[in-house]
Amino acid sequence: MKRAVRALTARRPRALSSLLVALGLTAGGLAAWAGQDWYAAAHDGTAAYAEQRDRALAAGEQAVLNLNTLDHRDVDQGLDLWESSTTGELHEQLSAGRDEFADQVREAKTVTTARVLSGAVTELDDRAGRARVLVALRVTVKAADGAGTDKDSRMLGELTRTGGRWKLSALGQAPVGGAPTG
Amino acid sequence: MSTTRHLINRQRRRQARGTRPATAGPESAGGRLRAGAAAVPAPPDPPAGNGTRDRKPAASRTLREPAAARGARTRRPVVLVALCALTVFLGGFAGWAHAEAEALRDEPARRNTALTDLARTSEIKGRTAEAVDRLFSYDHTDPGALDKAARDLLTGKAVEQHRTLLADVRERADAQKAVITTAVTESAVERIDGARARVLVYADQSSVTTAGARTAGGKAAGQDAGVYAGALLAVDVVHRDGRWLVSGIDTFGR
Repeated sequence: MKRAVRALTARRPRALSSLLVALGLTAGGLAAWAGQDWYAAAHDGTAAYAEQRDRALAAGEQAVLNLNTLDHRDVDQGLDLWESSTTGELHEQLSAGRDEFADQVREAKTVTTARVLSGAVTELDDRAGRARVLVALRVTVKAADGAGTDKDSRMLGELTRTGGRWKLSALGQAPVGGAPTG
Repeated sequence: MSTTRHLINRQRRRQARGTRPATAGPESAGGRLRAGAAAVPAPPDPPAGNGTRDRKPAASRTLREPAAARGARTRRPVVLVALCALTVFLGGFAGWAHAEAEALRDEPARRNTALTDLARTSEIKGRTAEAVDRLFSYDHTDPGALDKAARDLLTGKAVEQHRTLLADVRERADAQKAVITTAVTESAVERIDGARARVLVYADQSSVTTAGARTAGGKAAGQDAGVYAGALLAVDVVHRDGRWLVSGIDTFGR
């Protein structure tokens, strides 16, 4: 009687412990799989590329927006922003023609604001740090007399990554009818 | 009768048993401290789990074996508890790591496969450009071509959008006997999310009138008046039955 009880209680822990070992092994296997899955997800090359694409687009849209925004009452600050948004040849062009342009804007007394309608990246070379973007803008120019005009701008921009930041290195309107305009 | 005596006897026995542990109580409690001393009274039914260590030296072989088993049994719960804890920890980690991985994959940047999936991106660009070329070109001598394009390439709300956008153009082109040709010059895929995508399109629209160009040109406003005009639109496309169909046309309020 006593022996039977003891044998029963002895068998039960054994069954329990083997169940626990099985559960433990399953949990260990799951943990290993989930861990490496997580590692793979975190070190996915495509994800890094996607992130660069989104960064390039965000920077491109902002830079194009900056270059289409200028208030004649605050030309210097506006043009500082232009220069900080650009790099390379475009940057040189802007700083070279800065004084002349500033005078023109002050004289015309215009306030230019813009809104990004849509933007997308057409090409991205992650290694070289170069990208091409399309940015569609609605530009509003307010003249000195308060009359405003709206115009949609179809911009083509080229971005270059310098010091981890994407900056505009070229910008122009999309040509119409095979002939470049504006 | 015998039952009452029996009862009295049992009561007596119970009383006797009840008093004995009471008197032996403090002694045995002290005996546990003074090793060996408590083993002397040797009660007929020893309380379980009490004084195992004290009895060990005097214990026979039959008693020693269960003692060893009891030692293993006290060790086993510790191992089992540790195993339980490990299982719970590993299971928790697995769940957490899985959630982290899913969250990473679910990030908007990753869900959007524009450019990361180059083949799909260029396929969408190509199909969309073809669709836009066909949907926004109109030849007054062949009005059926536009209807066919609309039937083939449009779905959902784009059907109505296209009809509204083209109604005016069509009427004017018929009156002027014009041929309107649209050609996509630049396009870029903004977003691909599975079977849906959005494409930003720059297109050239040319309008060639074969009769009465001067008179009709006066009333035509905006981009249709010129020979060339630049158009800007965003097109939503959806992949259905192996083909990309236009499901939305956004002209940005123009």
